[in-house]
Amino acid sequence: MVLQIKVGENGQSQDGAANIIAKAAALSQPKDVATTGSYLRLTIDGSLDPLRLTAAIESASPDVEVVSMGRSLEIVKQVGSPERLEETFRISEFKGSHGIGHTRMSTESKVDLSHSQPFWAHGYPDLAIVHNGHITNYHKLRRQYEQHGVRFYTENDSEIIAVYMAQEMSRGLSLEEVLHKALIDWDGSFSCLVSTADAMGFVKDSFAHKPLLFGETDEFVAVATEEVAFRAVFSREFRVREAGAREVKVWRN
Amino acid sequence: MAELICEERTIREINADIRRLLKEGEAITVRSPGARHNLGVALLASGEVVFDGSVGYYCAGLMDGATVRIKGSAGWGLAESMLSGEVIVEGNAGNSAGAAIRGGALVVQGDSGARTGVSMKNGLIIVSGSCGYMSGFMGQGGKMIIGGDTAEAFGDSMYETICFVGGEIADLGNDAILAESSDEDKQFLDTSLARYLPASLRANLPDAAGFKKVVSGRKLWNFKKSEWKTWEQAL
Repeated sequence: MVLQIKVGENGQSQDGAANIIAKAAALSQPKDVATTGSYLRLTIDGSLDPLRLTAAIESASPDVEVVSMGRSLEIVKQVGSPERLEETFRISEFKGSHGIGHTRMSTESKVDLSHSQPFWAHGYPDLAIVHNGHITNYHKLRRQYEQHGVRFYTENDSEIIAVYMAQEMSRGLSLEEVLHKALIDWDGSFSCLVSTADAMGFVKDSFAHKPLLFGETDEFVAVATEEVAFRAVFSREFRVREAGAREVKVWRN
Repeated sequence: MAELICEERTIREINADIRRLLKEGEAITVRSPGARHNLGVALLASGEVVFDGSVGYYCAGLMDGATVRIKGSAGWGLAESMLSGEVIVEGNAGNSAGAAIRGGALVVQGDSGARTGVSMKNGLIIVSGSCGYMSGFMGQGGKMIIGGDTAEAFGDSMYETICFVGGEIADLGNDAILAESSDEDKQFLDTSLARYLPASLRANLPDAAGFKKVVSGRKLWNFKKSEWKTWEQAL
């Protein structure tokens, strides 16, 4: 299992990293340790309870957050231009079947590493989301989850989507089922893209408030907010379509 | 024919060049549009502009008189507030295509997104494929022809836009009703489709008699306290 851990909002200290490694080692000795930017990357063997492992690591300091955990998921996020993300983390060298990303334009909550996207569904390995929009019943949903002991890391409404996904998928629902259920449970505007170990899917709100378009070819599936993103990445043109209101779509590896 | 290359140039520069060349009477092909936003906005002269690829948001908005062809897809707000002219997109269009147009013809050869023709005042919108949620919303005039299916809430709260649908209507919006097509309507459909759609696309559509006509039921035009229930539902 690979863990990406935010050591601190302002870079990392030797002490901070050592402390985190010690906390993790109390449960299972990390096989591999690497540091990049503000993150510590740990590879840990065994099938530990993700929430227990997260809690142990985060007990190192209030500033520490496990931003991703999984056998195939790794989240890296930064404040600033996406180009810096490539410089620091060499995203283009990542290998895998699919990836999601989002440049957040902050409107309500603060701008820092934890409030950046994607959000990991804390406690649920290999599940992450990105969201464009505004979940207007965020506070109500959050209160309900908090009453059941769920910890929130930010003041950002998009975080509720990750929590919701983790809760519903833990109950055994499929990705498709959860995305359909979300259309009933979430209010507001959303174009939301979800990644699991073996699938990627989206849901768009009932009024099609927020853009999300996609193109499918024999070689790949591409999803973006605007077509200009595709044209910047792919040299050949392919047919794209704006997703409809209440549209749910899932692609499997 | 003049050719413009978009790469390494700002939208302001590209649009200024398109306007200048149109004035000079040149037909223009715009290369590598890259789906960038606001291309060909406020073209106020007649003449032909071809975008050789996809365009972004608000392409050909506020246009008066030009003929614009897009050899790709278009983003949101295509031909918004057009006064006259023709906009033809060979691919799909995003949300709010033809919003608030006052004239001219917008032709989408693929599918169009939500709120197609929202608040259109006049003019013609033809979508060869399907259209998205709440298309025709608050349409005040003009005509809209959808060759394929519509999504939910079609023709919601319209004034005097007249719509024709060749496929299935998922659900009529508030105060939208089906009406009988007259011979004049059928004539109009035949003429418009023959003029604006290539035969290969027309082949997928029913004949004029197979189109459903959707108009306003006029129940929401004037507020009557006795019809409170109607309003309660619409709002």
